[in-house]
Amino acid sequence: MQPSSREMQGMAGSMNGGISRSSAVAQIALRELQNGHGGQQIPNSVPQASFDHGASGHDDFLDQMLSSLPSSWAELGNLKTPWDPPEAGQRLFSAGLAGESSPEEPSAAAAEGMRYPLYDESSLLANRLRQHQISGGSSPNGKGMMVHLDHQSQQQMLLPSLGRSPVASGDSGLLPLPLTLGTGGYDVDAPFKSLNPTGGEGLFNGLGGPLQRAQSAFGHPQGGASMPSQNFTAAAGAAAGGVGQAASASASASASAGGGTGPPRQKVRARRGQATDPHSIAERLRRERIADRMKALQELVPNANKTDKASMLDEIIDYVKFLQLQVKVLSMSRLGGAAAVAPLVADISSEGQGGAGSGGANSSGDSLTVTEHQVAKLMEEDMGSAMQYLQGKGLCLMPISLASAISTATACPPRPPSSSSLSSAGAGHLGHGILPGGLHPPNLTGDAPASPGVSALTAQSAMANGGAEAAKEAVTVSKA
Amino acid sequence: MLAFRFLRALTLVHRTTPNSSNAARSRRIQRAAFASMAYSAGPRRAWSRALLCRFHFHRARRRCAGRSRTAGVPRRPSTTGSPADGLRRLVPGGTEMDYCSLLEETADYIRCLSKQVKLMQSIVDSVGPGGR
Repeated sequence: MQPSSREMQGMAGSMNGGISRSSAVAQIALRELQNGHGGQQIPNSVPQASFDHGASGHDDFLDQMLSSLPSSWAELGNLKTPWDPPEAGQRLFSAGLAGESSPEEPSAAAAEGMRYPLYDESSLLANRLRQHQISGGSSPNGKGMMVHLDHQSQQQMLLPSLGRSPVASGDSGLLPLPLTLGTGGYDVDAPFKSLNPTGGEGLFNGLGGPLQRAQSAFGHPQGGASMPSQNFTAAAGAAAGGVGQAASASASASASAGGGTGPPRQKVRARRGQATDPHSIAERLRRERIADRMKALQELVPNANKTDKASMLDEIIDYVKFLQLQVKVLSMSRLGGAAAVAPLVADISSEGQGGAGSGGANSSGDSLTVTEHQVAKLMEEDMGSAMQYLQGKGLCLMPISLASAISTATACPPRPPSSSSLSSAGAGHLGHGILPGGLHPPNLTGDAPASPGVSALTAQSAMANGGAEAAKEAVTVSKA
Repeated sequence: MLAFRFLRALTLVHRTTPNSSNAARSRRIQRAAFASMAYSAGPRRAWSRALLCRFHFHRARRRCAGRSRTAGVPRRPSTTGSPADGLRRLVPGGTEMDYCSLLEETADYIRCLSKQVKLMQSIVDSVGPGGR
């Protein structure tokens, strides 16, 4: 997923450059994010694309695999004897890595073909696993396939292929890993690069290693670490012989490695997991909880059509980054002349000193607080409704500077200003002087302003020049 | 509730720093946004606790009471293969949660963030084009 991180960085850089335009920028950011991810899926390597768009690319992927196999077989033929797993495994995975890191189709297809040397069973199994992983539904077929892979006499499957694919044992064990790691993305490379099993035991350890990391790739920290080892021990106990161990280890590896979100894997574990019961139950519960939370997150995040867990995580990360960026941009856009609407608790109490309005102001203080809360709540949903609510109450929305001007100007009765001055002043303000039934400040006629029972939500403004006149007007408004 | 707190915080910002530079003010506004978000979310959320702790730390220059550190969850070093690392860095307080609770906190954090963004956007809209 290197391109995605690069893309994000590039976009962030461009965002910082053009941050003066607030919402347009933010929208562009979101679009770019979406496009970046949408467009990224397509040129991505075949395994990832096939993992992500499982159902659609299903058959195509299979065809591609099978067709690319002859070419991959030629490469495999150059490899050494069957029981040279470490080197061959390393080479396989370096090839797999090369296939994964480079988005070119031929190499990816070849790598993919190498990863799935002609196992009809295993390729079918891989496809089924993917299908189940994507659909999230359980299917007895998948389970059957796994069990089939597990309990069938492995020699029949492995040995003939052993002659053809040198890393059969390591392959079958590590086969499912590319399946999951293809979805795991960028963080896959490290575990594979460090894979260096030496001999049979080393093979298991090596399997345990990348398995652990593969599982943690799906976010299974501690339980996951215990699972593969337990599966291995269970496999070792159950099977007899090296190949049998490898096979069951591979089956359990496939079960545990694929156990990210698929219920069929959980069912398989339930079937085989008599030896690891409490852990498997805990694991299952944990996975169910994770799946629930992921579903809830999917509903929150737009563009949540990604069925893959890892890409869903990426989408979530991008969305959180986008929201934080939006907050930043919006806070920048409200500098200078931008108005801040705030409840005027302090000003109301100070304005309550006015003569006739004192009683009214004080008694309405409580209701004002309630009103403020109400308006604030409305503002969260829709500004228009908040304004309407204010209007209904006969209140006005005015800049904070006006309010302070009002409180200072209460001593001297101001003269009614001309409507033109108010309109000019109100242009740069959040100066909605609202009459009951009337909307626009220019419609006001001057009256002798009474005490500023100007309750309200006031706003601060940078253009304080017209503040005095507008204040008088507003006072007039509120009184009227 | 969020709007109420945010508007009040915004008032404070504009009142106390009328002469500061634009960048500093925008940073303050952003901090006010996050602070009001955290306050309205309440202390029952790990991310809001972490945010509030961060703000208190920055303001009072003293170590936070270690509440966020001793979350009771064993701190696991992020393995190289974990895809939740990015998420942990983004969500406040995310480094010390297990994956399950991280997802839950992320959901709540996203909800609050979108509410905040909507609120700010509506305020900017109501100010109108003369808002610069």
